[in-house]
Amino acid sequence: MTGAKPRRGIPTRTAWRLGLAVVALLVLAMLYGLAKPGMTGRGELPTNHGLKIGITQEFESLNPLIAQMSATFYLYSMVNRTLVSIDANTEFTAQLAVQMPTLENGLARLVEVDGVSKLEADWEILPAATWGDGVPVTCHDLEFSWEVAQSPYVSIAGPELYREVEQIRIDPENPKRCTFLYREARWLFNRRFQFYLLPAHLERRVFEAYGDQPEGYEKHTLYTTDPTNPGLYHGPYLIREVKLGSHVVFERNPTFYGEPAHIDRIVVLLIPNTGTLEANLRSGSIDMVSTLGMSFDQALAFARRVENEGLPFEVLFRPGMVYEHVDLDLDEPVLVDVRVRRALVHAIDRQRLTDALFEGEQPPALHFVAPADRWFTDDPERLVIYEPSRRKAASLLEEAGWTLRNDGFRYDAAGNRLRLRLSTTAGNKMREIVLVYLQDQWRAIGIDARIQNEPARSFFGQTMRRRLFDGAAMYAWTQSPEASPRSTLHSAEIPTEENGWSGQNTPGWANARVDRLIDELEAEFDEDRRLDLIHEIMWHYTNDVPVIPLYYRSITSVTPANMTGYLLTATQVPETNHVEDWNLEPARGAGAGERQP
Amino acid sequence: MTGFILRRLAQTVVVIALLSFFCYFLMTLMPGDPIDEMIAANPTMTAEDAQRLRELHGLDRPVHERYWNWVTMIAGGDLGYSRTYRVPVSEILGRSLLNTSLLAGAALVLSLLVAVPLGVWAALRKGSRVDYFVNLFAFAGISVPSFWIAIVLILVFAVYIPIFPAGGTTSIDFGMTPGEALVDRARHLVLPVLSLSFLSIGTFVRYTRAAMIDAMSNDYIRTARAKGLSWDRVLIVHGFRNALIPLITIVTLSFSTLFSGAIITETVFAYDGVGRLVFLSIQRNDFNVAMVAFMISVSWVLLMNFAADLLYGVADPRITYS
Repeated sequence: MTGAKPRRGIPTRTAWRLGLAVVALLVLAMLYGLAKPGMTGRGELPTNHGLKIGITQEFESLNPLIAQMSATFYLYSMVNRTLVSIDANTEFTAQLAVQMPTLENGLARLVEVDGVSKLEADWEILPAATWGDGVPVTCHDLEFSWEVAQSPYVSIAGPELYREVEQIRIDPENPKRCTFLYREARWLFNRRFQFYLLPAHLERRVFEAYGDQPEGYEKHTLYTTDPTNPGLYHGPYLIREVKLGSHVVFERNPTFYGEPAHIDRIVVLLIPNTGTLEANLRSGSIDMVSTLGMSFDQALAFARRVENEGLPFEVLFRPGMVYEHVDLDLDEPVLVDVRVRRALVHAIDRQRLTDALFEGEQPPALHFVAPADRWFTDDPERLVIYEPSRRKAASLLEEAGWTLRNDGFRYDAAGNRLRLRLSTTAGNKMREIVLVYLQDQWRAIGIDARIQNEPARSFFGQTMRRRLFDGAAMYAWTQSPEASPRSTLHSAEIPTEENGWSGQNTPGWANARVDRLIDELEAEFDEDRRLDLIHEIMWHYTNDVPVIPLYYRSITSVTPANMTGYLLTATQVPETNHVEDWNLEPARGAGAGERQP
Repeated sequence: MTGFILRRLAQTVVVIALLSFFCYFLMTLMPGDPIDEMIAANPTMTAEDAQRLRELHGLDRPVHERYWNWVTMIAGGDLGYSRTYRVPVSEILGRSLLNTSLLAGAALVLSLLVAVPLGVWAALRKGSRVDYFVNLFAFAGISVPSFWIAIVLILVFAVYIPIFPAGGTTSIDFGMTPGEALVDRARHLVLPVLSLSFLSIGTFVRYTRAAMIDAMSNDYIRTARAKGLSWDRVLIVHGFRNALIPLITIVTLSFSTLFSGAIITETVFAYDGVGRLVFLSIQRNDFNVAMVAFMISVSWVLLMNFAADLLYGVADPRITYS
């Protein structure tokens, strides 16, 4: 053993120390050499020279027909526009079209073709609209998108709205004008803001070469192979650089037909960890966080810090159209009785819940239509409203045959305890907290509510899709304004093996009257009559309680304190749809829109 | 030696083939498929459309048939199409793989540069204050979660003392010269490399220390000293060389785990690497990306094991390949 022990005073010790010191010095010298004091521009307000936006969600190739991710459409709205859109006031407006065709203005007509009632509409694209390479945007682009969307070899996420169009006739004198023949006479025809345009002058040859191969077009589209080609875009910005999984650089489009954008360059950076967004903001790595950034609780906490520390940011909130709710499995024996379902609603106080958890920034929900939607109503004459009352909840349960025993739980005549399984997506902190609140409130009226959460992957991929949740499940729907509730409320949309589990009526609610009302609603051109129909659907919805409404989720964003013209939108049309109004030097850019209150 | 190499290479290929099927099979067991993602994104999608797309992508066929199609495609040099990013797999994977290799490689080099001298030093001073300090440092490295150290590094060196970028892979500046771009790239690597190295340093220090203590306690060390060899020669040729065997094992194995370990570091630092890409592709049922990444990872582990076997012979001449 003595041989292993180094002797004191030998040169080796010094040599090792020297070696270590050299390594340490090398590492420190390298770090010193790379360090750049003040490099991140902390505390400096951005100018119209450039803006860096942080997002936490991944994005994909920008071909609008095959894209699916929200972040992609956030980016897409900076570079392209659609015929119609939804503005920040949740109103449908013409955007790339000169005006929205309606029966009233004579641009749309009910027609009969071979004995079938159909609809024709005249669309005209803005005369000044051109692609980034100067080629005019025409109806040939609309026609080409329509062709691609119907190809059996292309994976289009939403081909239905393209299939609604039976024929496109282009004016030979003016290719910016065309007439669409719709297969069915439906009032929604002029609100298809997801009808995207592809540049036929560039993409047609790709489609002709590869369109007959499975995934051939997707693999070779110029949006993937040459994404910085200016001819692919016609919005206020063009793309200078795209790195999937990292960032996108936008530069002002000199050929944009509208008001030129105020900001020269916008960089959108992907920061997948929400926990580091604040550090990135504070260090100056990013100037703002988009609506696809902070979680709601993070935004609330950051808003407090902005106020307390006087940070140069503004945290914005706006109630959106994401509807958080609890689906009830109507095939579950304890939930078959509507009195039990009503008792569940009476037992909770949604106002207190949202005040306590969300500081009142997310309004409690009464039904599936959000306050930002023109169809919204809170009129007690048109809805069944359940005020929070444990006494009423208990009375309803007694009526339904569930009696309270000494152990604090309710039992039926056969001695079965009133049990309910609650589930949501594991790891979603807010939902988990809400579920604990629900469990607590329902236990207070004698219901043995048990939480059994699952990872989002199996919750949505299996449990909800195949209606295996056996009780109550909390999640959210994203609504469009004035949209038919067919996919979530019609009995034909109850997921079954026969329909390939494709519907979204997961509670399994079947109400023949509601089915008829939905059919009528989709065909009704009179706006007032439509309002009556949707309100009647809401009445049945709140009366039958297939779902427990909880709250409407708010969208949040963090902007630099000097930013004007930035408006949060409540809908799926992102705030980038009016990116040209954003201004970081208000004195230089008078006339920009107003900041969201 | 040649026979050994050929035999091991053949074994490696067989193992890769078996593991590829196993990984593919496991992926098909996960709930949902890529079309479910589309249905979730578009509630109005009809059952007929969903079925058409399943047929188009071959998702309606049995697993072995799908696997065979995938193998044929790979063998033909086509890595497939990513249904998450909507681009060919080669387009996203190549760049990310290079970035992660750079990150993992730099972290490994730094870890070895720091850990080996520290481990040897601690071993030679066993029981001293230096030894206790090095041990404390090593245990801290092993115990502290990497996401925590990453966030601390960001707060200290990007927020409070803003000398390094908080995240990203490069600055977005089109006017940089190649030299400036290189420095900028290195600057973006500093914090992720430090974060990723911290855990490895702790592990390597512990292994180096233990192996050196073991090697230096052998009789041949005393014999070597008795023969009048210099301390440096005893330490390096007789001590350190024998301590290399366990070190080679742990370093080669660690190099393969650095890829998977980089997921957290890449996510926290918004670093454009393969770890995050693979995680997302598994989450979203993106078979093509996940499978190619699995295969790279599996091949890497096997190749590093193979390299370890070869290095054992270099470190210890008593080991033969017959």
